[in-house]
Amino acid sequence: MRKALNYFLLSPALLISLLIVFIPGLLTIIVSFTDWNGVSTTPEFIGLQNFNELFVDSIFWQALFNNVKWTLIFITIPIVIGLLTAMLLLKRKRTKSVYQLIFLFPYILAPTTNAILWLNIIFNPVSGVVGYLQEAGIPIDSPLSSMNTALYAVAAVDVWHYWGFLTVVFLAALRQTPLDQIEAAHLEGCNGWQLFRYVYFPTIKPTFNILFIMIIIFSFLTFDYVYLLTGGGPSHATEMLSTYAYTFAFSAFQVGKAAAIALFMSFFGLLASCFYIWMSRNELKN
Amino acid sequence: MSKKFVGFIAIFMVMLFVSGCSSKSENTSGGKEKITMWFWGAPPEHQETMKKVLVDKYNKSQDKYELTVEFRNSVDKDISVALSSGQGPDIVYGSGPSFVIPLAEAGKIENLDKYAEQYGWKDRIVEPIYQSGTVNGSLYSLGNSLNTIGIFYNKKVLKDNNWAEPKTIEDLVKIMDEAMEKGMYASVTGNKGWKPVNENYSSLFLTHFAGGAKVYEALTGDTQWTDPEIIAALDKSAEWYKKGYLAGKDYPNLTFNESTQLLADEKAPFFFGPSLVYQFASHSFSGDKAKDLGFMPFPTMNNETGEPQYTLGVTATFSINAKSKNKDEAAKILDSMMTNEFMNEMTKSWPGYWGVPLKDLQIDTSNMPELSKGYAEAIQSMVEGVNKGHFGYYTGVFLPPATQQIFLDIESIWNGQMTSKELMEKAQKEFDKEKEKGLVPPTPEPAK
Repeated sequence: MRKALNYFLLSPALLISLLIVFIPGLLTIIVSFTDWNGVSTTPEFIGLQNFNELFVDSIFWQALFNNVKWTLIFITIPIVIGLLTAMLLLKRKRTKSVYQLIFLFPYILAPTTNAILWLNIIFNPVSGVVGYLQEAGIPIDSPLSSMNTALYAVAAVDVWHYWGFLTVVFLAALRQTPLDQIEAAHLEGCNGWQLFRYVYFPTIKPTFNILFIMIIIFSFLTFDYVYLLTGGGPSHATEMLSTYAYTFAFSAFQVGKAAAIALFMSFFGLLASCFYIWMSRNELKN
Repeated sequence: MSKKFVGFIAIFMVMLFVSGCSSKSENTSGGKEKITMWFWGAPPEHQETMKKVLVDKYNKSQDKYELTVEFRNSVDKDISVALSSGQGPDIVYGSGPSFVIPLAEAGKIENLDKYAEQYGWKDRIVEPIYQSGTVNGSLYSLGNSLNTIGIFYNKKVLKDNNWAEPKTIEDLVKIMDEAMEKGMYASVTGNKGWKPVNENYSSLFLTHFAGGAKVYEALTGDTQWTDPEIIAALDKSAEWYKKGYLAGKDYPNLTFNESTQLLADEKAPFFFGPSLVYQFASHSFSGDKAKDLGFMPFPTMNNETGEPQYTLGVTATFSINAKSKNKDEAAKILDSMMTNEFMNEMTKSWPGYWGVPLKDLQIDTSNMPELSKGYAEAIQSMVEGVNKGHFGYYTGVFLPPATQQIFLDIESIWNGQMTSKELMEKAQKEFDKEKEKGLVPPTPEPAK
């Protein structure tokens, strides 16, 4: 009786997981082997054709490479800025909250708002900062227009919006460090780096690890800022797997191919999750 | 918790569940049956025009139905998703005939043949546009407005610099070179925020450099997309882009709004763009400046006829949802939009989007403001040209969807990512696949 009740109580969560995770996931896998256009009721099974076409598609590889670059940017720059700022804020007694609020501000704004701000007020060659500098005789172009800089410009906007969040999370984790350890380290004559490396970092390591993995997962899913700022251009210079899948699904009516790309995105997320589980197990063992 | 309260909650939950499962009410609070239409997120002033000219007028004309228009920024995606799940509005907005074919083949939109006969659409609508709305010989969509690519120019800039209106490509190039020497843009345009803007330039170079007849051959399979004349046209586009004739480095940084502003600010003599740009010009060419804006057809290479050629396109299409309960009424509304009266009224305050493709277009510019007048006259000339068969093709209208995506990649040629030949080989491969699936829209034949 008790077992039945347990199952009954679990059923809403199971049902939700089934409906919004398992079934759509399974359908995505099935659709990736078809030529479904998104509206047809009779999609044809085409085996591995979608995957074969993607493997010889240079734009797909470029998108994948861009996702890897994006991941490398995001697991370094915002993390370093976030940690550094959190360490600096740790010493601030009264102004800590104000700074956190300011740093978190871009994060709480909608991506559309941030994108409009950067596109129209900063990068705009007619009425933005770039236009103003050009008028003043400074030879500057919007970084979004160059194939060499567009990806970094979009990443910079996303980093700008994201690092404040990392600061707040790291700061909260740093504050959990036992005071006696900090005092002991000071008495032993630790310098700043040693204090961080041997006292603070072990405390925040679980937080650091989960954020690290989440950043990798989200880097392969990134869509909003790229779509809003460049739409994947110029000439696919900022194309991501997500934007490429979107084009296939909603512009080319090739939902099957979009599903195949989605599987690649999920694959990298899955790899990151496995790595996290392996890391957690090792930590428990140690 | 009392038993009574628990009972009430249970009844409430059941009612909520039942109401959620039952089909959505189609009636308005006034007891009228609701007819819905989704449209792209037009600016507020244009939404107001649509409300006044279409919605209010229709709703006042009878008391059984109520038309409501929803303006959605992601209308294309919303329509695809809604229709594939058997939902969506009664009147279906589409971004062109190639958007319509998959919906028609999946039975998501209604065959309009009986309405075409009832309202005489075949006789009234410009033949190539009517034809482009058919799938396997049956009508499924109506193009709401003609759209063509031409040259917007600032009359004052031309006059101040002693430049005559260009009649040939050579004249045009000469002026652009001189403009750049003077520190101006050769022309302004850009695809910021909307990558499909590129279709204007792939279409422009195909029509005016390769020629409508050559593109017709490629669309009908008589030649390949790798035909030397097509490759030469695309190479020319790259040459123009690299020379800075298409807004130079700022192409990815400018919207149509910003481009018209630059044109109004006398920063460029030209803006090569679709006639629908008139709708963006009202902010920058306002007041006295309105008279400075001109529009002319783009000159054509080796044009033996001497008459202007028009890249044939539509701004959008309208169809009827196969699941609509009010198809007859939806068709009646569509018919009201296919009239001279509607064209004149809409264009008066919303130039650029309502050049209704009527064979017998009767425009009355006497009460129209300057921009509306300019647009109406441009469409009138276009109708005359298209009726004579002087046209090329908008890629977004006459190419199937996946091939169109490849033509949008024209930027890759401009940025040296691939050659015109490589891009066209890719296009040919995709085109062959889509042709086999019957996804190529009907192709009207231009004059020889």
